[in-house]
Amino acid sequence: METYDAVGENNFNPSSYHGNHTKQHATWSPYDNNGGTVMAVAGEDYVICAADTRMSTGYSIMTRQYTKVDEMSPKTLMASAGFMADAATLKKLLKGRCDQYQFANNKPIGCVAFAQMLSNTLYMRRFFPYYAFNIVAGLDAEGKGAVFTYDAVGSYERTNYSCQGSGQQLIMPVLDNQLKTVSPLVLPAVSSATPLSEEEAIDLIKDCFATAGERDIYTGDAVELFVMNKDGIRKETMPLKTD
Amino acid sequence: MIPSRTSHSSSIGPGVVPRGADPAYDEEVKREYDLRKNIPHLGKGSKGRPFSIDPNVGVMTRTQTPYVTGTSVLAVKYKDGVLMACDTLACYGSTKRYKSIQRMKLVGKYTVVGFTGELSDFDYISTLLDELEMTDFCQDDECPRTPKEIYNYLVRVMYNRRNKFDPLWNSLVISGWDYVEKKPFLGCVGMIGQHYVDDHVATGFGNHLARPLFRESWKEEMTEQEAEKLLKSALLSCVMRDKQMMNKFQLSKITADGPGEISEPFAIDTRWGYENYVNPTKYAPGAW
Amino acid sequence: MTSLNLDFSVLDRPVRKEADELTSTLENDVLCGINTHDQYFTIPRVEDFSRFQKDVVEHVKPQHGTTTLGFIFEHGIIIAVDSRASQGPYISSQTVKKVIEINPFLLGTMAGGAADCQFWQRNLGIQCRLHELETGKRITVTGASKLLANTLYGYRGRGLSMGTMVAGWDTTGPGLFYVDSDGTRLKGKRFSVGSGSLFAYGVLDQGFRHDLSIKEAAELGRRAIYHATFRDAFSGGTVSVYHVGPDGWTKMSGTDVGELHYEYYPADAVENPERHGGGEGDIFVPKKREHEQNREDGEKKKDSSPEAMET
Repeated sequence: METYDAVGENNFNPSSYHGNHTKQHATWSPYDNNGGTVMAVAGEDYVICAADTRMSTGYSIMTRQYTKVDEMSPKTLMASAGFMADAATLKKLLKGRCDQYQFANNKPIGCVAFAQMLSNTLYMRRFFPYYAFNIVAGLDAEGKGAVFTYDAVGSYERTNYSCQGSGQQLIMPVLDNQLKTVSPLVLPAVSSATPLSEEEAIDLIKDCFATAGERDIYTGDAVELFVMNKDGIRKETMPLKTD
Repeated sequence: MIPSRTSHSSSIGPGVVPRGADPAYDEEVKREYDLRKNIPHLGKGSKGRPFSIDPNVGVMTRTQTPYVTGTSVLAVKYKDGVLMACDTLACYGSTKRYKSIQRMKLVGKYTVVGFTGELSDFDYISTLLDELEMTDFCQDDECPRTPKEIYNYLVRVMYNRRNKFDPLWNSLVISGWDYVEKKPFLGCVGMIGQHYVDDHVATGFGNHLARPLFRESWKEEMTEQEAEKLLKSALLSCVMRDKQMMNKFQLSKITADGPGEISEPFAIDTRWGYENYVNPTKYAPGAW
Repeated sequence: MTSLNLDFSVLDRPVRKEADELTSTLENDVLCGINTHDQYFTIPRVEDFSRFQKDVVEHVKPQHGTTTLGFIFEHGIIIAVDSRASQGPYISSQTVKKVIEINPFLLGTMAGGAADCQFWQRNLGIQCRLHELETGKRITVTGASKLLANTLYGYRGRGLSMGTMVAGWDTTGPGLFYVDSDGTRLKGKRFSVGSGSLFAYGVLDQGFRHDLSIKEAAELGRRAIYHATFRDAFSGGTVSVYHVGPDGWTKMSGTDVGELHYEYYPADAVENPERHGGGEGDIFVPKKREHEQNREDGEKKKDSSPEAMET
């Protein structure tokens, strides 16, 4: 089983894909890694999607106020890390599809359908992937929190919590430690809902970002939390260190 | 209405000529296609028609490496507008080749676009913007394009070209007055489509030299004079540390009051008499 | 002389419509080509496609790691899999569903690229359902595996990475096929696929008999996957075991590898070093021989007792 990784060295040399030019030019890559961390936690009746607001390239910060979480439909949030131009294009495309869905069905797209659509859209670029690492968070048809986590080419899975991007390796173990429940594959089935209340989950997420900001140069500036429950979506922002 | 040749198509994206717009061009394209139809992934099935197809090579990327380049563009928002500044130099490698090139372009009434990177690619972008401006002018609906729209258009152009492995080797700074939201607008687009809006922006080497100064001194409610002073101090540090920059600048200003202005070239006071510059080894024991 | 008309269309390469045709209609844009046979993938405009693919794959860092197995025995088929996905040294998931339930009589397994497997097995599900709607009959395992193999052959050389088994029950009884992204399609009675497959084969071949009971067979599958997760770093998580019989498939068990470990290697009662060792400086040394003997006994006992299985 293989999935595709967020953090990769920039090892492209596309000049060599074109003919037999022996001259080596300044290399150009169609990809860049703009860093950033995104995460989501689902509860019994809520879901929280969060991301930092830093956008970097190499060692320089391009902006400190780039929002990585988008509301794709009233029941669906999507957050992307990786190469921001790919992520922005992807979101633009998906938003268009969500509108078409609304027009065709006279109701907004649900998060489970959206999750499958994102997977298909990513896989359509299997041979020239979107370098974007996505998390979809939303409330399913029963009002339960749902988190879907993806790799770059569209393999996905429904989970209770997930983290992607440059701070993934720092945050994921903390989430496992705090939130891991029995695997949904285990028989006889055991409920695998996240045991935290909404407030506890918000605190946990804030702690995670503050911690990742200490050790990951691509995470910082601010964290934006989008909390979705039966009352709708609300946004919270917490400043992080800017160093 | 006489069909005008446009360089963007709704289905394929900006940067290509749609079929039917220009029969002579279509013929030419067909000829090129026939020549390379046996090349897998390029011939049959590849419907995008960038200007980059060389019939002999198959694929030719137009800019694999930049030749004539401009360096940093700096811009800051202030209370009632945006100021942008850059020098007037286009370098050929490290040769200061063209010294009076205007590197900012006024687009419509409310937008100024400045560039870093390849001069010829920006010329091409200029033609796109001119076409865009022309159609907008012809509509005559007193509803000119906002800087945000031009910014989004340029993001798509840059990103589409990177998708064709034929990038436009530029970073663009788009400044303007958003007359709808009644706010200044400032954004930046990179070579492969990375884009962001911010209160201050600097491309190229300026991102390292000027951005820290902006971050230190920029304030939300700056006056024009303060913004100009900040910009000029940033230009000073750039010109003294960036060998691709020269002391001949232009400054553009855009406010709610109407057409953006691009100033006549000017120089700023530089002082090279620092002790360390005059005698660089004085405080470096062991050097000679 | 009359000519015989045979429909060879099944052998055709998948039809891929060109960009304009497909993307020009909103409908197709929304459908994304998934519920048609047509597939249109964006192809990078580079001359050296293979090399680009190689670099892309390097850029997004895929790593191998999986153990899946399947075998036919007297009472049907057993499919057993682990549930780990890794990105380089990082374990990206411990809860991947590697058995894809194509329909109530057909299962597919996943090894290789997670997205490749998910997408194409879903596509296979679509093709199988369409076959049912067209003919009014369930597709045979032979047919289903051939559909998948043909699809994959159409993408040969494009860098797909899949090693799958298609298992099911049809009019001819149990069927098991191995299909991979090179276009290989093999009919067989016993397969194991993935980085841990050799370890699984070791256990499987040693314990296999045609006349195993369902319980014994499920236990053999589970044990083989467990031992693969024990030795292969890229396999782990939960062991899932499925049985396919004349009435379709059922999931027999899903067990965390951690729990299995204590089942196959029961922990010895640890002697308290302070109580036995006494004074400072004494080093506690477990009674090695006895310890190992216990373990071997335990293992033998487990191996021969199918009752040990918990479902």
